[in-house]
This record gives sequence, structure tokens and C-alpha cells, in this order.
Amino acid sequence: MTIERRGGNSVGAIIKACRLMTRMNQATPGARQSDVLYYKMLEGYYRRLLQAHDDGKLIAAHTDFFPVELVYAMDIVPMHTEVTTWMMTLFTGENEDILSASAELGLASEICTPHRGLAGAFVTGAIPRPDIMLWSNLVCDNTAKSGELIMDVTGSDGFFLDHPFKQSDEEVKYLVEGLGDMVSFLEQRSGNRMDWDRMSEIVERMDRQIELIREINELRKAVPTPFSPLGFMQLLTVDYLCPGQPEAIEYLEALRDELVAAVKDGRGTVSRERFRLMSFFLPPMHMLGFLDRIAEEFGAVSVNEPFFTFWGEGRLDPSKPLESVAQKSYMIPEMRMFGPLDERAIDSIVDCAGQYRIDGAIFWANVGCRHTCATIKLFKDVLEDIDVPMLTVDCDVVDPTVASEEEVRDKLEQFFELLEDR
Amino acid sequence: MNALDRFREVNRSFPKTSQILEHKSQGKKVFGWLCTYVPEEIIHAAGALPIRIIGYSHEAELDEGNAHLYINNCSFSRSCLQLGLEGEYDFLDGVVGGSTCDGARRLFDVWRRYIGTPFHHVLTVPRKFDDKAQRLYCDEVLKFKRHLEEYLGVDITDDALHQSTLLLNESRALLRRLYELRKRDNPPITGAETMEVLNAAYRMPKEIFNRWIQGLIDELEASEKTHSGRARLMIVGSVLTNPEFVKSIEEQGALVVTDELCTSTRYWGDEVQLDDDKPVLEAISKRYLNNFPCARMYPSDERFNRIVDFTREYKVDGVISETVRYCVPYAHDLPLLSKRLRDEGIPTLALDVEYGTSGSGQIATRVQAFLEMLEASGK
Repeated sequence: MTIERRGGNSVGAIIKACRLMTRMNQATPGARQSDVLYYKMLEGYYRRLLQAHDDGKLIAAHTDFFPVELVYAMDIVPMHTEVTTWMMTLFTGENEDILSASAELGLASEICTPHRGLAGAFVTGAIPRPDIMLWSNLVCDNTAKSGELIMDVTGSDGFFLDHPFKQSDEEVKYLVEGLGDMVSFLEQRSGNRMDWDRMSEIVERMDRQIELIREINELRKAVPTPFSPLGFMQLLTVDYLCPGQPEAIEYLEALRDELVAAVKDGRGTVSRERFRLMSFFLPPMHMLGFLDRIAEEFGAVSVNEPFFTFWGEGRLDPSKPLESVAQKSYMIPEMRMFGPLDERAIDSIVDCAGQYRIDGAIFWANVGCRHTCATIKLFKDVLEDIDVPMLTVDCDVVDPTVASEEEVRDKLEQFFELLEDR
Repeated sequence: MNALDRFREVNRSFPKTSQILEHKSQGKKVFGWLCTYVPEEIIHAAGALPIRIIGYSHEAELDEGNAHLYINNCSFSRSCLQLGLEGEYDFLDGVVGGSTCDGARRLFDVWRRYIGTPFHHVLTVPRKFDDKAQRLYCDEVLKFKRHLEEYLGVDITDDALHQSTLLLNESRALLRRLYELRKRDNPPITGAETMEVLNAAYRMPKEIFNRWIQGLIDELEASEKTHSGRARLMIVGSVLTNPEFVKSIEEQGALVVTDELCTSTRYWGDEVQLDDDKPVLEAISKRYLNNFPCARMYPSDERFNRIVDFTREYKVDGVISETVRYCVPYAHDLPLLSKRLRDEGIPTLALDVEYGTSGSGQIATRVQAFLEMLEASGK
């Protein structure tokens, strides 16, 4: 399959947008320093990506929840595939071109848009060609199946990490062995040796990062909640793009300090907090601004996301980097959805609803996401048992044609009325 | 009743076939499996009847399935669940799944929560074929065996596993013999008729199935009946159990001579290689992980190579890729598979369908056009 190279134009646009956001935040009185750091972090991430080949570094594209700590430790530049598609949607609005290109490749419309969009982005050359493709079955069939086509389209080498379904000793051993194989593959492909000291430092920072998110989650229990209505998207992005990186720690520490001060002063993130919400999965990227305004208008704030920000128990051990990376993969919030959907998932919903004083839940039903949408009824029933209503919003994280702002607004308004009447 | 009609009768009455009800009436257990990566030998060696959980083999309303699994899960999962929620599988003593695809694992999750089948087990199924994956899968099969032993209060002995393996290998060998007949220039059996046999294979005790299929093969070998078509086609892709779908393709003048489906060749594909020097459980595990692969496995070339081999062995003119909507593994494979087949000079027709569809209307029109294209290209 041939590629029409366009030289990473979309990444350039993402960088410009991030720089603009940084300047806007810097110029806005009262804006949070953490927001400035967040957009600087994004800008730095995409700048390194754009310059990687000029700097003589390899680019490794990778799917969701891939242990990118190992990539950083080998001085290879990572490119998170799904997040890069989101960012293109958020900052450049280039959904139509890349989705059309993926259709020409032969990808069916039922495949989720981040993956279709990504394949399309490589075909059109909207993002830089990776030298290496890394992917795993965390967390769905789309991640498991996307790698080979991208290797074919871009002519890159690749490594598939097979993540076991459960967490028995044998499965953890299998995962650690797989991580070891991946290190060997990267060493062979890049000519770099793994820097284990650097890897230990990254694990140490990753452990700190998780602790900071836990602290932030604790602060979000306050009434009114101090964290911005859709701030959880930032927490996600930090882990997806910069796990164990100094800029991630800097951002999270600044955010934590701001939230501590806000809680101390009794300041909420919206003028008048009326509804404390639990969020399931991702709202459409192109609606983030709109949803922020809705949150302020109705005083509705997401204060908890059981499968996105609510990390599992455990600490990482820098002296055992591969084992720690394997352990982290079992601690990530989404992992409760990956293995058998049992009491781990159900209990976390019930537990979070109580701890965060949840009034209602919103399930962002992305039409291309099978493994999440299949849980809608189950989660709705679980919440109903504890008298928490749940709204399902049909949408798509990348494709703006699936749901309009008007439709979403109508649904949210009706839901907030229902909550008000209770 | 001729041999084929006996299979049709089983399929007509499934899930509650007379064979299953007879088995239950003797106080014996029946366990349903959700995917071809669940080793039937373990269930059989425990003295229970393994049957495959399948949805409606025809178009059906799936209201409850849709409500519980949402519309973006494949219609196969929703159809299975619909039958389960309607109580059609209430005779099951257990359900066994694997971590094979999103549809199957969520079907397992929802089944466990909303349908009162007493025993549940899910196996981790690696996506690779290497030795490490083999060790892990073998360990998973061992855990499944122990779980079943504990639940049923029985010992599943090596001797019982050996006997069950021989029985299932016999089924596989007989199905292979049936498929050998399809390699003929003018086979004695159509694709739609073959699907009736395949469907019955996992809906009844193998002891009876083997006798019946042996009778059918004898009948076909002695028969002078033959079939021919405008083109010899192979169907590849997602789960398919509706013989009417295959029939509608053959009604356009094609002859379906082979297939690559988890309800056909990927079900009976390879035999367990028993070796006196190796534990029988290891041999069973090896067979299931290395069998004709599903699109979930990596690398995909393992699947593609086998498909290409089949196109040669069965003298295939064209391939129909049938993808059930939202069956993501097969949808992802399609661009690369089409390219590979194109390189081999085999045209592909991609059909996006709902599970259970009969293949009439638009599909028939597309098949007709495909056949015309094959004829025009001299195939």
C-alpha cells in the first residue's frame, strides 16, 4: 500500500494549538499554572515527535496502555496512536480526510474511529511515519489488530505484546517475559542498549505519578469539587503520553497544590455545584469546549471516573523495572474492564458512587467501542440498585457526524432536570 | 430419512435437540462452550456433553440481546444472548468461554450476570503461537480441568482424556473426508448441505455424530449425484451457521467448495497429535492454540497462508469474505487478506452482514455481479 507523504503537517498544527493554549493561559488572570504546564507538556511531546528523525532518533508508534516507559528508557520517541488521532480531532478538525482515507484502505466503518483515523492519517502522511509499531491487546480487539496494517502501510517493523487476560502468577510471568522480548526487539532494531538505570528512574517517577493521581482523586471528593469538569481528560493524557516523565510530575504536583488550596478555601471549579457526576468513558473530543460550558451552566461536574482515573492498589518497585511495568498494567483503571468483568469492576462503581457522593452518571457510548458499550446495561443496573440514575449518550470520540451538540444538550438538560426533581 | 435429513432435523430442533434432552434425562451434564479455543475434550472426558452455544441460524429479532449488549456488539453475541435470555439454554450446567474477542468475552460477562447457568469458566487464550504462549495456554487448560473436576466431583483421568481425544479426532477425520469429496470437479455435496452437517457436529454427542457422518460419506461416495457451478467459491471470515446464506450464493450459479470459518474448517481443522511420550493435556493444548487460526491471532499470515493453501487445494476461483458487522478482528484483517489474495490472483468479494442473514436481496445481487466479473476475467 502506498503512502502519500505530507510530512507531519497535523503534528505541526497540534504544536501550534498547544502553544496558543499555553499563551492564552499565561495571559489569563487567575488561570491555573497546571494548565500552562499541561499544554507545555503536550507541545514538548509533539515537538519531540516532529523533530525525532532530524535528531537521529527512531519513532515508535504504540497503542493504548502500551508500556511506553520502556520506549522512553531506550531514547526512542513514542507516538501514542489513539491520542494523536484525538488531538488531530481536537486541534485540527481533520476527521473527514483521515476517515475517508481509511475507508479507501478497506477498513470497515464499524472499526472504531481512533483506529480508522489513525490508519488514514498514516496513509495521507498527516503524521510522521513510525520506524517501529508497538501494539498489544490492551484493551480491545482494535488495539490487538491495528498493528499489522499500520506496519504494512508505513513499511515499519513491529512488535506485538500479548497481554494475558487475568492475573495468575503464570500470566504475570508470561507478561514479564513478553516485555523482555520487547526490550530485545527494540535493542536489535534501534542499536541502543536498554538503560536500566534510566528505566528504574522512570519507574520511580511512575510510582510517584500514580500516588499524585491518588492524592488528586482524594481532593476531588471535596464538596464543592475543586477539579475542572472535564479535567479527568488531562489526567488520562498525562499517563498515556508521558508516564514516568519529569514534566508529568511537574504538572501533577502543580495541579495537586492548586486543588489543596482550593479545597482549603472551599472554592469549587464551577460557580455553583449542583450535580456530582460519575463518567464512563470518553466524551467526543470536538465537544470538550461545549461540554465545559454546559458544566458551568448547569453546575454539573464529573468528580469520578472508575475506569479512567481510579487506580488499583499497589506500588511499583524501581529495583524490578520489568515486573513493575507488568504490575502497573494490572493497576491501570481501565484494567478492571479488560479481564473478566466481575466484582472488581462492579464493586469499584458502587464504592466510588458512595465515596464521591455521586448524583448521577453519564455513559459516553462511543459507537465504535464494543467492549465498553456492552457494559451499559450492566452498569446502569448496578447504579440503579444504589439509586443513582445513569444517562447514556450515543456519540463518537472522533467523528462529529454521529451526535450534534444540540442532541447532546437536549439529553443532558433532560437528565439534569431529572436529577433536580429527585 | 436419508443421512443429510437426520442432520437437518438436529439443526431444526436446536438448542433443545432430542439428543441433548436424552442426555439430560440420564442425569448427565451438558456444558456450553462459546469459542473454538475451548477444548471440548476436557468436558467430554468429565462425562459431560459439550455443545456449542450458537445464536439463531436465521434472521431474528434481538431486542433483549440488543438491550443487554448494545447494538455495536456483533449480532452473533447478541443472538446467543437472546436465546439464553429466552431460556432456550436453560438445560446448561455450565458455560465456558475464552478471552478470544471482545464480543465473546462480553457475551460471557453478561451471560454470567443475567442467565442463571450454574458453572462458569473463562480461559486466557494467548494470541501468539510461540512456546511461551503454549505453556501459558496449557496451564489455563489444566486450571479449567481442575475447576471442572472440583465442580463435578470427578477425576478427569489421562485415560479418559485419551479416549475423548480419539473420539473427537475421529469426528475431525470424518469431516476432513467429507471435505475431500468437495475437491472433486463435480462434488457430490453442495456448500449449503455441508453446512447442515457442520452445524450438527457441535450440537449432538460425537458418538452419534460419527456414525451418522460415516453413513453420509458412504452414501455420497456411492451416489452418482454431482454438483457444478459457474465458479468455485470459498467463504472466509466471521462465524456463519445459516445454510440459507450459502444456498443463496449457490442459487446464483456458484458452487461453494470450501470455507474458512470457526463453524467449519477452523472447528475441525487439525487433529490432536497424541504422543505416548508427552502428557495428553499438552497435546490437546497444543492442538487448540495452533489449530487453523482465528483472526484474533498474531501474526495474521498464519491464517492467510492456510487460506491461500485452501484456494489451491480446492481449485477456488474467488473468495467471499463474510464479516459479521462489528466483528472487528475480521474487519481489520480484510485489507491485508484481500491484498494477499490479489497477489495470488484470487478476487475477493467483501460482504458485511448481520449474523443469521439468509443472503437474499442486495447480497444476491452483489454475488451475481462477482460471478459475472469472474467469468469475464476468465476464471
